[in-house]
Amino acid sequence: MTLAAFFPFLIAALCAWLGPRLGRRTGYVAAAAFLPALLLIPELLGMPGSAPALEVTRWVPELDLHLAFRGDGFSLLFAVLIGVIGTLASLYSVAYLSEHEKFGRFYAYLLCFGGSMLGLVLSDNLVALFGFWEMTSVTSFLLIGLWHTRSAARDGAMKAFLVSALGGLALLAAVALIALGGGSTSLSGLDLSALRASPFFTPALLLTLLAAFTKSAQLPFHLWLPTAMEAPTPVSAFLHSATMVKAGVVLVAKFGLIFGTSALWPAIIVPVGLATLVWGAWLALRQTDLKALLAYSTISQLGLLMSLYGLADAEGRFAATAHLLNHAAFKAALFFVVGIIDHETGTRELPRLGGLRRALPVTFAVALLAALSMAGLPPLGGFISKELFYEAMVHQGPLYLAVAVLGSTLTFAYSFRLMRVFLGPLRAPAGAQPHEAPPGLTLPAAALALTALAFGLLPGMAEALTRTAQTALNFGAYGGYLSLWHGVTPALIATVLTWALGAALVTQADRVGDLGRRLTPRTNANTVYYSLTQLVNVFASWLIARTQGLALPDQLRIMLAATAVISGYALVRAPQVFHPFGDLPLGVLPVAALLVGGAVGVLLSRNRLTAVIVTGLTGFGTAAAFLAFRAPDLALTQLLVEAVTVILFLLAFRYLPGVRDLPRTRGRYAFDLTVAGLAGIGATLLVLSSVRFLAPPISPYYLEYSYKGGGGKNVVNVLLVDFRGFDTLGEITVVGIVALAVLSLVRLGRRGRTRTEPGAPPPEDLAPDLPAARVPVTQQERP
Amino acid sequence: MSSRQKKPPPVGGARTPTPAPLTGDPILRSTSRAVFALVLLFAFLLLWRGHNAPGGGFIAGLMTTCALVLHRIAHGTSALRTDPARLVPWGLALSFGTGLVPYLLGRPFLKSDYGYITTALTGEFEWATALLFDLGVFLVVVGASLAIVYALLDVQPQETVEGDE
Repeated sequence: MTLAAFFPFLIAALCAWLGPRLGRRTGYVAAAAFLPALLLIPELLGMPGSAPALEVTRWVPELDLHLAFRGDGFSLLFAVLIGVIGTLASLYSVAYLSEHEKFGRFYAYLLCFGGSMLGLVLSDNLVALFGFWEMTSVTSFLLIGLWHTRSAARDGAMKAFLVSALGGLALLAAVALIALGGGSTSLSGLDLSALRASPFFTPALLLTLLAAFTKSAQLPFHLWLPTAMEAPTPVSAFLHSATMVKAGVVLVAKFGLIFGTSALWPAIIVPVGLATLVWGAWLALRQTDLKALLAYSTISQLGLLMSLYGLADAEGRFAATAHLLNHAAFKAALFFVVGIIDHETGTRELPRLGGLRRALPVTFAVALLAALSMAGLPPLGGFISKELFYEAMVHQGPLYLAVAVLGSTLTFAYSFRLMRVFLGPLRAPAGAQPHEAPPGLTLPAAALALTALAFGLLPGMAEALTRTAQTALNFGAYGGYLSLWHGVTPALIATVLTWALGAALVTQADRVGDLGRRLTPRTNANTVYYSLTQLVNVFASWLIARTQGLALPDQLRIMLAATAVISGYALVRAPQVFHPFGDLPLGVLPVAALLVGGAVGVLLSRNRLTAVIVTGLTGFGTAAAFLAFRAPDLALTQLLVEAVTVILFLLAFRYLPGVRDLPRTRGRYAFDLTVAGLAGIGATLLVLSSVRFLAPPISPYYLEYSYKGGGGKNVVNVLLVDFRGFDTLGEITVVGIVALAVLSLVRLGRRGRTRTEPGAPPPEDLAPDLPAARVPVTQQERP
Repeated sequence: MSSRQKKPPPVGGARTPTPAPLTGDPILRSTSRAVFALVLLFAFLLLWRGHNAPGGGFIAGLMTTCALVLHRIAHGTSALRTDPARLVPWGLALSFGTGLVPYLLGRPFLKSDYGYITTALTGEFEWATALLFDLGVFLVVVGASLAIVYALLDVQPQETVEGDE
């Protein structure tokens, strides 16, 4: 399982490298990334009987941090689902993507995403689960924004990331609370009764729900999902059917065992899920873009799954797991179908398409099977799981049942609306020659549609798959079973009612459209989102204008004054600072004189070069001070840093005009003097206070062990590379990032070297280039 | 500190936005030719002996940077053939890799190892994996600082300061 979660990441690195070399064929390599996940199938098939395997890789045992993966029935079922759909999506994209795509990037993102998702469903450690959860947010951000030159893709990616990051923070807090209350970070090792008794229980429950709702696009967080369809279609199929959006459902299903006992759990989830079911279906019915229709349909179906898992009883979990499988099959198939239509006609707009059944017979058959399953018609899998859904809602009362029927009626209607592209006379955009898509596109879709059919015709197979999750989700005692015919039950009556109402909606489509236009509310989740983000932008511009637009000396004044205030506060809070005043090391007085001389020299210097060199004096003085305290390593470092700094300053100052005496009023002069003095005194006192040892010094330990443990006589170096090597690793990472930041800042204003005047020497040749580049830019830019 | 004497603006040409050429000074060139190899050698010595005496990757990196900058200023071309920014990821990978190997072998992350080899030619000779880690630090420091310095060397200011002309 550990391999299944991490193998996609390895292949992702390989794909990033292969992408530019192999082109679209990288997809075949990418498909292999899910092989370890598919190898879990034998384990899955033996599941209701055998005990779940636990694989633990220790990371930081002191913090109870492990990479623990637990293969219970539900996790394995989901992992295999991700593996299957991931493989199909990879193969499908080989035929789908255009020749000019950045294949390396695309497949690397896709596989990282698949890997994080596998990690998420298999993870047994709460902290690791949170990590994988966030990784799905980040990778889906990258995937949605793949075509980042389009503003819609950027907007969609940003929206998805903001909403799911909000949920991610909530999950982090929830995980911390659960670990505190339950006494363990292991999901299977939690002390449930202690957690339920602890005061953290209710906050953790609410935070978990927030995370699940944002990730699974429940009301009112549904806004990000439709714009996420800006991603390429294979990604949408993967995202919507098997993974990203189902993460919230997985969370509710898994954590239902922890929180399900609370009355609050179903009381929140079921209404929210049902509202999402109805509202999502209603919005789906009104879309004209095929992909948007499917996106809203996903929202609606997620609402259904949420409400069933939220019931937190055996019946609900059984029905939800069955529907989870059905939904994955028909939704991925439909996305693939829409991709084919888009690929063949160049449009996804419903009104511009029609009668495609003659041109695309295979696609039509696939779409018909998948859409019938979505609509809940026999003999497809969707019918069976909808019956279970009604059965569960019948037990909840007539109100819930009515809402469920309403939602399913709308689902029925939009499923048929989708099929309109295949019916009637042929309609396609001018110039399009729709014909059957290549097998690379139709085969994955057909495989999924046939699975949807098989779930209906052979309910025993679907039931066996659903039952694998029974121990993990605790529906062992539930006696229900999957079958096309349960006899005349209230659920069947509700189904017949749904069909009648749905058929009415389909025939009255025009009136429904009119009604929809009249009922459109002025404010919706999207307008709220945009006004909120706009507000942040306005506030940020205001803040920047107030703080960053100041002259540099003023900014310096603010910073120094803040230093003075902070150190002053620290000194007030910690008055014991004044103790060590007695034993000033007099030997370093000459060094101190050097430092002070440097500082005063800066004030007196009249041009910048002198100022830089004199400032360097303070640095070299510091090095001398280190030497006086017998720290040759530090002194050496300080000397070299100082040398490089001086070089940097000189280079940066070449282009600046000379220093002029700044007009300074007497009051401002006094203010500067006060601020500088206070900051200096404060810093000195803070340093002095840190000289006082409040605990036994740690240095003898290092002196003793640097040779014994690290094999080096230079304690400082052994400290850097061994004892605290992790710090050093972090520091050099920072150094690298700083370099990249400076590079991008310096190159920001540059518009490429092509803008140098014609006739100038070739830019690669740096020696003659330097004087040439120094032709004042203003002359080049003015026409 | 002779700053109180009113000197004419230095070589930097403080009155105009066009500084004097950096390269081509014959004295600088001959000095650099003599000093460059020496400084580099000393830098490598610092890197090598860092484990047992003052030195180490950070210091050696800075010193190498100084040598390369001197060369770049004196001759106008860099002695380094690749873009220095490319050294950063390699250095990071090297340091991280040396940390990862002991982890994969079941010991703590970044646990360094050392030992002694005695040959007839060199006598007793200590090797330590920490040197590889230090080499990574060295590469990152050289790459980062050189990238910054080179970027500043051929910067083309896009805006002029008010009242400049």
